[in-house]
Amino acid sequence: MLRYWSDRIAFTDQALKVNVERLEREWGKYQRSRDRNGIYRYLAAVFELITWWQHYNIAEMYARRAICLKEGRPVDHVPEPFAAIIQCTADPNKVDYRMRSKWSRALRYAFEFKRRKETLGAFMRRRGGINRCATKFARRLGRASSKAANSDLVK
Amino acid sequence: MKIRLDTYLKAHLEESHSGARPRRNRDSQDREAVLADMLAEAEAAGDPMRYPNAKGRIGWRATPQLREYLKDLKADADADAEEEAM
Repeated sequence: MLRYWSDRIAFTDQALKVNVERLEREWGKYQRSRDRNGIYRYLAAVFELITWWQHYNIAEMYARRAICLKEGRPVDHVPEPFAAIIQCTADPNKVDYRMRSKWSRALRYAFEFKRRKETLGAFMRRRGGINRCATKFARRLGRASSKAANSDLVK
Repeated sequence: MKIRLDTYLKAHLEESHSGARPRRNRDSQDREAVLADMLAEAEAAGDPMRYPNAKGRIGWRATPQLREYLKDLKADADADAEEEAM
């Protein structure tokens, strides 16, 4: 339900386009920087955008819209929102499917377990970095976790 | 309920939309509606962005680009003021 004025402000295609462009600039900044923690700034920008979409339960719709805007045509298969926005904003020559999938898993893990007041970078570093967060996602929330639950049921 | 804005964004909106600035004697609903229109327009221009704040609510703040622009303006104004003072 839309309770606040802020909730009634439509997120237009133009607003979506400028947000995607902003993330592309963040990606560019990360590429130019020599800071080893630069990736967290880019991922934090992606995380923030998807989190507010998730707040209104519109993440999948806008992720699809972002990919369609980027491609300039309707697209059949759209990955889950984190991966979709990374696909739209990061250089595909530098971020392949596997890396995108790993970042997306790490972000989904943060989405579930990060406390609001903690920054994404601090959370991920505390949890052992992007690779560890991605692994933890698989263990706690991914297919591996449902397999484990099923095997518990069989026992 | 109030729309949550950061100080940079609030100052920018007041400055750039001074004609449409909601007056204090209007009721709060009216003021929020005017502000909502301003934000929608500014969001499409890439000035503000929404974000989930520490309380889990959606707030608005200036994009990094707008912040840089405002900082640059302030630096210019400070330099001008210094020159005039000399």
